[in-house]
Amino acid sequence: MLDAVLGPAPQDIPVIVQGATGRVAQNHVRLMRDYGTRIVAGISRSTRTPRIDEIPIYTDTARAVAETGARASVIMVPPLSVLDAISEALEAGLKLVVTVTEGVPAHDALRAHALVRAAGACWIGASTPGLAVPGRLKMGFLPDVALAPGPVAIWSKSGTLSYESGLRLVQHGLGQSAWIGVGGDAIKGTRFADLVEPFRNHAATRAVLVIGEIGGTEEEELAETLAQTPLGKPVHALIAGASAPEGQAMGHAGAMVMGNRGSHASKRAALMAAGVRVHDRIGTMIDAITTDIRKGQQ
Amino acid sequence: MLLLEHDAKAALEARGVPVPAGAWFEAGDAPPALPCMIKAQVPAGGRGKAGGIRRAETAQQADTHRAAIVGLTIGGHRVLGCRAEAVIENGHEVYLGFTLDAAAGKVRVMLSEAGGIDVEDAGDAMHHALAAPAPHALAAAVDGLAEALPDDLQAAARDAGRIIGKTFLDLDALLLEINPLMLLPDGGWVAADVRLAIDTDALPRQPDLAALLEARPQAYGDALFKRHQGYDLIVIDPKGEVGLVTTGAGLSMKLIDEMTEQGVRPYNFCDIRSGQMRGDPARLIGAFQVMARAPRLKAVLVNIFAGVTDLGEFAELLLTALKAVPELEAPIVARLAGNGQERAAAILTGSGVTLEQNLDRAVALVSNHARQGADA
Repeated sequence: MLDAVLGPAPQDIPVIVQGATGRVAQNHVRLMRDYGTRIVAGISRSTRTPRIDEIPIYTDTARAVAETGARASVIMVPPLSVLDAISEALEAGLKLVVTVTEGVPAHDALRAHALVRAAGACWIGASTPGLAVPGRLKMGFLPDVALAPGPVAIWSKSGTLSYESGLRLVQHGLGQSAWIGVGGDAIKGTRFADLVEPFRNHAATRAVLVIGEIGGTEEEELAETLAQTPLGKPVHALIAGASAPEGQAMGHAGAMVMGNRGSHASKRAALMAAGVRVHDRIGTMIDAITTDIRKGQQ
Repeated sequence: MLLLEHDAKAALEARGVPVPAGAWFEAGDAPPALPCMIKAQVPAGGRGKAGGIRRAETAQQADTHRAAIVGLTIGGHRVLGCRAEAVIENGHEVYLGFTLDAAAGKVRVMLSEAGGIDVEDAGDAMHHALAAPAPHALAAAVDGLAEALPDDLQAAARDAGRIIGKTFLDLDALLLEINPLMLLPDGGWVAADVRLAIDTDALPRQPDLAALLEARPQAYGDALFKRHQGYDLIVIDPKGEVGLVTTGAGLSMKLIDEMTEQGVRPYNFCDIRSGQMRGDPARLIGAFQVMARAPRLKAVLVNIFAGVTDLGEFAELLLTALKAVPELEAPIVARLAGNGQERAAAILTGSGVTLEQNLDRAVALVSNHARQGADA
């Protein structure tokens, strides 16, 4: 289903929002719609809010999908309800779910992972600002000011560090071909390495910016995948947490170093061995990408 | 996060896992058994090598060991207390562990005939299986792995695996290692040492684990801070010079990295989650109170770049919080980008807070404060 997002008309994908009527969620439903996303329905347990502007609110996900033809969902429910919401979306036949919620228990994520795989679906999240194809589609709450159409794909574990990087790309006259927040949890739907294949033939992407952080082995897995099946485009990376103390989760549930496992040094070395350019500062990274892209244009 | 062994054993014992008779051991306490082991309680491995686990034959020896162990630093953690527990004799030591395999999306089950083994160095001595997160699947995985053990140990290992696997699921654990697991000649078994990493995101449905944390604030301060305050603030360098009020974990980590590289010492990590503040300055006041206690603080950097936060409202809350914490005297540099940044700028004009919209320049400003302070 990620192929439809990266395809010619992501703005045509009909999207529902589960957990649409909370104060914050309503705001995001409007922001996503205003950005161009085809929001066809919202889902809420309560019947208090029958619609958000012209968008109808259903209490039943299966019915909403049947009546609107939705193909994807943005899930904005509380952490302990995310597993049930994913399960409902899959049962209704949806093939793409984006869960923004932070704080999903790891065992729930593991169960969701199995359900998603069995359904042949794609899950982005949790603990992510979502995904976007700038100028076309936004599923989540990536800030508009950091979004502009352009040649650089962003794959990120971190929300705010990707905002800062995205904004600076825009300020340098560059933008993004697609932006996938894989999220900061250890157990998640889509990992960096899963993105290599879908982006290999994505014509709009001319370079990839990977924003990783300490903890887990995702960056190492990405390096392994890139070494075996090169992307054929320059890959730049920024890895947060070089100075983090061991054994301490740094904000994100997945951001923890245990021994050498998950360490900054391990990720940096693995990515560099796979031909990725790893940068220490946001500023120098943006300069390097800008130079790369400009060179390609000559 | 790792629980102290003593607390991990309490959690396991409450779910029917046999552990050696033991107790928290303070000066003047009688040991629960003799001989006994005196064990440092720190959330870190390598206690044995660091001299944090010692055998005592007499009560006097137990107290001597306790006095020697308390105050040690193991794995960067100061030992705050000890557990004393009965020595299990005549058992066969094996390793049994359960953890989450993020790449596979399954539970990884590990068993080794070599008890006391260091997992990272185990190599071929460790047998692995992947299983779905369900009790019967974990039990079946242990059944299969147990075939590698001598015949007379298999029944006890399978029984232990069934109960410990279910406990791993019941506790929402990220890691549960029994190392060693003592398999006894009579077919019984005892979890002699336990490493339990819990998922703080699961605490809302794990009241027993939450109670264990609440009962020991000196050991679980950072987790309790997040649980009570709703955001992360972790002091990473008690002698740090720059306090950070930032939203977003990744950017906060990166700021710390860039400052450290430039020779400036950040005091703390912070993900204040400005989107959840809802017009209440409590989080900012709490953060400033922590920073006001930092002995070498020279400056505070406030960096908010968020999708939804109304920065006008945030700027008002910032001034309210600063007024509420007058003991914080360090200069404040703020970088506020996003919705309402113009109104935020107007509110902060003349307030004494320096506004700098370029992040690199804002970092340079606080770095200069830190260096000037160091010269003074």
